[in-house]
Amino acid sequence: MSKRLNLTPYLFIAPSLAVIVVFVLYPIVAVVYYSFTDYNIINPPVWAGLKNYQALVQDPVFWKALQHSFTYLLVTPTLIFLSILLAIVVNRRLPFINFFRALYYIPVISGSIAVGIAWRLIWDTNGLLNSTLISLGLLQSPVQWLAEPKFTLPIAMLLTVWLGLGYYMMVFLAGLQNISEELYDAAEIDGANAWQKHWNVSFPGLRPQITFVAVISCLAALEVFNEVLVLFGGLGGILDSGVTMVFYLWRVAFGPQAHAGYASAIAMALLAITLVFSVFNIRFLERGTEAE
Amino acid sequence: MSAQANPLPRPVSAARGRLRKNSLEAIFWYAVLCLIAAITILPFAWVLLTSLKGPTDAIYSVPPQFFPHDPTLQNYVRVWKLLPMANFFVNSIVVAVVTVVLNLLFTSLAAYPFAKMKFRGRDAIFFLLLATFVVPPQLTTIPSFVLAVTVFHYYDSLFALIFPSLATVFNIFLLRQAFRTVPDDLLDAARIDGASELRIWWNIILPVARPSLATAAIFTFVNSWNDFFWPSLMLKTRTNMTLPVGLVALQGAFSSDTRAIAAGVVMTIIPILIVFITLQRQFVRGLTGAVKG
Repeated sequence: MSKRLNLTPYLFIAPSLAVIVVFVLYPIVAVVYYSFTDYNIINPPVWAGLKNYQALVQDPVFWKALQHSFTYLLVTPTLIFLSILLAIVVNRRLPFINFFRALYYIPVISGSIAVGIAWRLIWDTNGLLNSTLISLGLLQSPVQWLAEPKFTLPIAMLLTVWLGLGYYMMVFLAGLQNISEELYDAAEIDGANAWQKHWNVSFPGLRPQITFVAVISCLAALEVFNEVLVLFGGLGGILDSGVTMVFYLWRVAFGPQAHAGYASAIAMALLAITLVFSVFNIRFLERGTEAE
Repeated sequence: MSAQANPLPRPVSAARGRLRKNSLEAIFWYAVLCLIAAITILPFAWVLLTSLKGPTDAIYSVPPQFFPHDPTLQNYVRVWKLLPMANFFVNSIVVAVVTVVLNLLFTSLAAYPFAKMKFRGRDAIFFLLLATFVVPPQLTTIPSFVLAVTVFHYYDSLFALIFPSLATVFNIFLLRQAFRTVPDDLLDAARIDGASELRIWWNIILPVARPSLATAAIFTFVNSWNDFFWPSLMLKTRTNMTLPVGLVALQGAFSSDTRAIAAGVVMTIIPILIVFITLQRQFVRGLTGAVKG
C-alpha cells in the first residue's frame, strides 16, 4: 500500500457520514447545549446555566416518568421468558409449522400505531374485553380499563410484549437451531426429562441471543412512546400514569409548554440512563465482530 | 458465533428420532399452536369484523357480537371520503420506497470501505457510528426539529422524513458484516484487471451480497412504513400525512365512530401484510442474520 493518502474510502463513506453527522451527531451536541438554555424553538436559546437541571430534580412529574420508565423495563425479562417458550414451541417438525411462525410474526410488522388502535377497541369501556368478562360472569359492570391509573402501565407494557414477541421468538428460534443435537442426546442419556433438557441445554445455549434481546428490548422499553400515545392520548393517561421519559420529553418540548430547553434536560437524563445500556451494547457488538 | 451464513430456520433435527410418531403428542402441540394463534389473531379479527359492521350491528353488547349480520363496506367508503386516505397511501409508499433506495445506496457505499479497505481513522469512525446506534432516536428530535424549520425548510413535507433516513448506522453495520464475507481474491482479481473501486462495489460486492441487501431493504421499508414519532412532528397538513400519522388523526376525527376507526386500521395493515406474505423468506433470513449481532 502506498503512503499517499487514498481518498477513495473517504469518498465512499462521505454521503452516509454527512447524513449521520447532520441528523445524529450534531443533534446530540445541540441537545446538550439546549439543556443549559431557555429555549422554545421559536426564539433563540438564552443561556440559563443549570436552571433546567435544578427544576428537573424538583419536578414530581419527572420523577414519576423516571419511575415509570424503570417499571417499563419489566417487559425485558417477560419478553425473554415468553419468547424462549414460544421458540421452543415452534421449534419442532410439524406440518404447517412455518405457517404458525409467520402468523406469530404478524404483530411485529403491523406497527404499534395500528395495533395500538386495534387494542383500544378491546380495552375500551365499550370494548370486547368488558363485554366478554361480563357475559362470562366475571364482571358485574364495565371497567374503565384505560382511565384507571393503576392499569395504565400494565396495559401499555402488555401491548409492548405482544408487539415484540414474534420478533424475539424468531431470534431465539434461530439460536435454538444452532444448538448441537448431541447436547440434547447427551442430556437424554443422562436421564433428563423434557424440562431439564431445556433448562440445562437450551437456556445456556441461547446465551448470546439472551444478551442481544436483553439489550435491544431494554433500549426499546426506555424509548417507549407510541403505545402510550395511542392507548391513553396526548396527556399520557390520567394523572400522568402513563408518562414515561420519552413521553414527558415529547410533551414538554412539543406540547403547549414548548419548553425545548427543559425537554433537552430530560433528554440528557434519558441519555444518562441509556448510557449504561449503551456501553453494554457496544461491547456486545464488538464481540460479535471480533468473533469473525 | 460463526460468521457463516445461517441456514433458514427449518424444523429442527434435534427432535429427529426422539419425537415418536405419536399422534396424541402432535394433537397437543397443534392445540397449543392454535391457542397462541388465536391470541395473536384476536385483535386483528375483532378490528376486521368491526370494520364490516353496519349501523344496526352492535359494537358493544353482552354477550359480544362477533359477526356482522349485514356486512357492509360503507365504513371504508366513509373514511376514504372524509379523510385523504389516498394521500396517506401515496405518501407512505413514496417515503418508504425513496428511503429504501437511497438509504441502501448510501449505506452500501459506506459499508464497502468499512468491510474491505484499510484507511486512516477507519476504526475510530466506525466506533463513533456504533456509539450513536444506541442513542434513543427521540433524543435528537429537538435539534432536528429546529433544523427542519430554520435550515432545511422542509417542515410539513415528505422531505422531512426522507432526509434524516438517508443513512442509518444499523444498515451500515448489517451490510458491512455481509460484505466481509466476499472473498478478497475476487476483489484483487478485479483490481488487477484494472477495475475501479466503484466498479468493484457495483459489479462484485452488491451482487454477491444481494440477500443481505434484500433483508436490509425489507426492514428499512417496514420501519419507514410504521414510523410515527418524527413524522407526527413534521407532518401537519392532512394531505401530507403518512398512514400512521393519518391514522392517529383519524382516531381524533372519528373518535365516536368505532367502525370508521376500525376500517382505517385495516386499510393501514393490509399493504404491509401483503409485503410480509410475499417476502416471508427474506424476513426470516434477516432475523437469523440479526442475531449474530
